[in-house]
Amino acid sequence: MDKAAIELLARRAGLDKALAEYPEDIEAAAVQAGASMARMKAPADPRAEPWPPMKAGTGL
Amino acid sequence: MTDLHWLSATDAAHAIGTGELSPVELTRTLLDRIGRLDPKLNVFIRLDADAAMHAAKAAESEIAAGRRRGPLHGVPVGIKDIIDVAGLPTTCHSKVLIDNIATADAVCVGRLRGAGAIILGKLSTHEFAIGGPSFDLPWPPARNPWNRDHHPGGSSSGSGSGLAAGLFPLALGSDTGGSVRNPASACGIVGLKPSYGLVPRRGVFPLSFTLDHVGPMTRTVADNALMLGVIAGHDPLDPGSAAAPDGHYAAGLERGVRGMRIGFVRHFHTEDTPADAEVAAGLENVAGSLRELGAEIRDVRLPSLDEFGAVNRVILQSEAWAIHSQWLRDRPGDYGKLARRRLMAGAFMSAGDYVQANRRRLEMIAAVEEALREVDALVCASAMDPACRIDDAVEIERTYPRQARTPFNVTGHPALAMMAGLSASGLPLSVQFVGRYFAEATLYQVARAWEREAGVDGKHAPI
Repeated sequence: MDKAAIELLARRAGLDKALAEYPEDIEAAAVQAGASMARMKAPADPRAEPWPPMKAGTGL
Repeated sequence: MTDLHWLSATDAAHAIGTGELSPVELTRTLLDRIGRLDPKLNVFIRLDADAAMHAAKAAESEIAAGRRRGPLHGVPVGIKDIIDVAGLPTTCHSKVLIDNIATADAVCVGRLRGAGAIILGKLSTHEFAIGGPSFDLPWPPARNPWNRDHHPGGSSSGSGSGLAAGLFPLALGSDTGGSVRNPASACGIVGLKPSYGLVPRRGVFPLSFTLDHVGPMTRTVADNALMLGVIAGHDPLDPGSAAAPDGHYAAGLERGVRGMRIGFVRHFHTEDTPADAEVAAGLENVAGSLRELGAEIRDVRLPSLDEFGAVNRVILQSEAWAIHSQWLRDRPGDYGKLARRRLMAGAFMSAGDYVQANRRRLEMIAAVEEALREVDALVCASAMDPACRIDDAVEIERTYPRQARTPFNVTGHPALAMMAGLSASGLPLSVQFVGRYFAEATLYQVARAWEREAGVDGKHAPI
């Protein structure tokens, strides 16, 4: 993610104040997020369901 | 009798019940020790000494009159400062909540109080259970009693440090990416992340709703089972609470492991995140000892640590952003740097990323369930390194993610970390045991077999 994209996303999230006062923290947060998402595989099956399973009225 | 400050909760409760030990004497001994050692360890954010002494005197009178409240009557406990204790601040170790007074006990605290436990006060944590160890917060970070120049793990850092220093025999922690088991590993104590939903979260400040677990932290396996028996149980007002049966957690403690099948997830520490040589040797020693005690040890493969970690972070940071977004917009300067960076990461993830992570999560749960169909429990690494120096930010950044705890936050299986031995430099090494959902009793059975074999419950920090 380039600097302009990071700034755009930060403003869209309402982080203008953090962007002005802690720009290096905004950049670090964006880098962390990008690294985590890049390491995650997509489910092999396009029909894969998310957790938690839909079990109305019950616990785990 | 053992020095009072090293007395287990089980032994203390028994001695108090038979009249051999006064809860006033025990509480006063621990408060004196806290007064001497806490300035060096920073375990407490808020010590509630007067209330603790008042409760100890009341316990003494009640027990003398034959009114025993429960299995922990007269036993002191410390509470991580993200968990509400009525009338005390829940600061989450942050300037953001510095004036936040709890109006009621968290469910788990209420259950401890109902069982007769004496609340000593609120314990140091990483900021909001995510940002630490940090030196830019209103209170200093806790330190490791085995070597005060080293970190005690986190985020339940005061809980781990205080137990290892003999300041209390029981503590509550919380675990979203390993925060009970990290201090258990670094401080050489016993920390359980129970099955998801077993211990109610109501009254505990959330970090990530679907990954948060409240867990017992103790110096012995038997104490851990005792404490879990008090705090576990359904809470209809916690949407994640499970209707699990009473686990009789201590029932099999002394049964040993003969005939059990235990899966060794060796690739976690040999391939995925190669462990420090002493940690790896310690893990082989634990597995070898369990084999000698009669268990069948089999190699087991699970998804990689790298991917478990990524799924954990995407879910955790997305949910945490939902909780913290308004404060981060309005008052980013009230957070420490580490928490600010980690909590803002969720702003750069999409709804699709979050759902994708939860789809992968279900596949990962299926993989662990498949493995646990073939074995009774798993053994694997917890921390890949002994605790490093607390003032070495680069080494903390390098070693904190080198762990195998997050997989079981993602899947919700119960996982217990404890001491595997000591390094040449005198710091605790660790091991982790993992069980089937709601099979905490089996987990304790394995952990107790190792504890008894190695005598790790008798190893105390030189403080």
